[in-house]
Amino acid sequence: MSLVEVVDVSKEFKSGEETIRPLDGVHLTIEEGDFVSLMGASGSGKSTLLNLVAGIDEVNSGHIFVGDTDITELNRGKLADWRAANIGYVFQTHNLIPVLTAYENVELPLLLLPMTASERAKRVEIAMAAVDLTNRAGHYPRQMSGGQEQRVGIARAIVANPTVVVADEPTGSLDDDTTEQILSLLQRVNRELGMTLLMVTHDADAAQRATRQLRLERGQLVENGKPILPRALRTA
Amino acid sequence: MLTFLPYTFKSLWRHRTRSLLTISGAGVALLVFCFVGSVQHGLFALTENQEAGRSLIVFQENRFCPQSSKLPQDYASTIAKQSGVADAMPIMVFTNNCRASLDAIVFQGMATDLLMKWRKLALQSGSWDGFARQDDAALVGKAVAARRKLKVGDKFTIGDITVAVAGIFAADNAADEGLIYTHLDFLQRARGLSDVGMVTQIEVHLNDGANADAVAKAIDEEFHAGPVATTTRTKGMFQADTLSDLAELIGFIHYLGFACVGLVLSLVATTTVMSVQDRIKEHAVLQTLGFRPRRIFGLVITESVVLSVLGGGLGVIGGMLFLAWSDMSVAAEGVTIAFRPSWDIAMQGAIASLGVGFLAGLAPGWQAAQAKIVTALRHA
Repeated sequence: MSLVEVVDVSKEFKSGEETIRPLDGVHLTIEEGDFVSLMGASGSGKSTLLNLVAGIDEVNSGHIFVGDTDITELNRGKLADWRAANIGYVFQTHNLIPVLTAYENVELPLLLLPMTASERAKRVEIAMAAVDLTNRAGHYPRQMSGGQEQRVGIARAIVANPTVVVADEPTGSLDDDTTEQILSLLQRVNRELGMTLLMVTHDADAAQRATRQLRLERGQLVENGKPILPRALRTA
Repeated sequence: MLTFLPYTFKSLWRHRTRSLLTISGAGVALLVFCFVGSVQHGLFALTENQEAGRSLIVFQENRFCPQSSKLPQDYASTIAKQSGVADAMPIMVFTNNCRASLDAIVFQGMATDLLMKWRKLALQSGSWDGFARQDDAALVGKAVAARRKLKVGDKFTIGDITVAVAGIFAADNAADEGLIYTHLDFLQRARGLSDVGMVTQIEVHLNDGANADAVAKAIDEEFHAGPVATTTRTKGMFQADTLSDLAELIGFIHYLGFACVGLVLSLVATTTVMSVQDRIKEHAVLQTLGFRPRRIFGLVITESVVLSVLGGGLGVIGGMLFLAWSDMSVAAEGVTIAFRPSWDIAMQGAIASLGVGFLAGLAPGWQAAQAKIVTALRHA
């Protein structure tokens, strides 16, 4: 059974009188341990698809299964609980909480989960070590470079050992050297920690670092030049 | 929610100038709220306490200021024989200012034995013996002593009356601490006047079970055809009538208390709204991490309550300290209202701060909790 199944998902927006439908009956399956990159033109709906999988946006139709859970059926409160336990989100602009130190930012998602303070501390230390920022634990975001901030963002995304890590253009605001560091880090997260990743990018080189490369074209997903068709679908 | 309290404090500290201004504004408003509360409390204590209903004041008919009321002293012995009367105490009253004043001095001259019997005075310094031995001795209420910086042994003059401080006292009734007690005959002869045999008022103490209204009526009927007609009221009613103008004013400043609470509400609500609008994206990030909308709502409410309670708490503490330190009182026509700190007022202030903090956070909290995550993440 696939870890993530996107089943006939459509999403539309109103723009004045016009209705835009970036996702039009999209199908996608992601297996456990996959590192999937998602490319597409600006406005093609790649970030929208990522946000739907992350449970921070709502579909107009269709279903999204993550593990056994159809997240399109969850209300806002339960969806928030589900995100806390199952999703690690890496933002393009880091989005660290400015008043918290690197350590506190990484610890934040764990405060929502039932665990002891010592277990929490252990997990934060492991995550900080994984992104090689143990020596920056007490620094505030303003005291760090963009690359360091993004590494803290990745540590925050992986600290709760989520089912899926989603990354929305994680290297979009970084220089070449830092981009290379972040992509290597994401690859390590996938290979060494076995985490499933879905990464949106506009950078073809970055996309090549993933194990699967998808494109979103005219509301449909394309893999290896062929549209992704529905397969043995679950019934909603 | 306590887990996130450090985050709340750090968020407030991020905009420390704004937070401190809000806290100081709330503090000043609650200080005024406490002051207004103490004024009302003082008036209430004067007119509603148990003694106010169980003793009567006999005053010359149609007279108001103490200087204008002159009753024959021997009325007291006649009154003492009335049914229901336990004791009748002739009192000479002198005040340096009959109008409402924050620094009016009120002397009450009465017989030492009756003073010891009917006034619950606790001497903080000096002695009863010292008072009894000296004709011009005075027992000074601690509020007056603090205001005028008087101590035992000092001599001071107010309105041609010069007395020697023989003791400084505290009293159960805070208003009494704004009085100066002297010997009755001393005050009758003071200022070159020859008021021997005349007093300003007679204070009547009733037996248990006596009907105050009936006794008052009987006293007035007794002297209706005498040389000086009287008006007799319960002490509470006498004080309420005497202070009626002030009471109206005090009733009006009651609204000032409400205005202070409203001020804190708008101040804290404005700051909380600004804080939420500054952090639309931050709250969206928190929701992305798994914070429930309800928790975001709680964080905003906590922030608002912390602001209000910190400001309100400082205001309440400041107000209590100011009231305790200043020993303020207002007197009119010889009756004194004391402004004193009390736990009741402090509790009212604390509860008002807490309630206002909660109310102020409701709308911005709801706004933050209901924000669409994706839209909010795009917010600059």
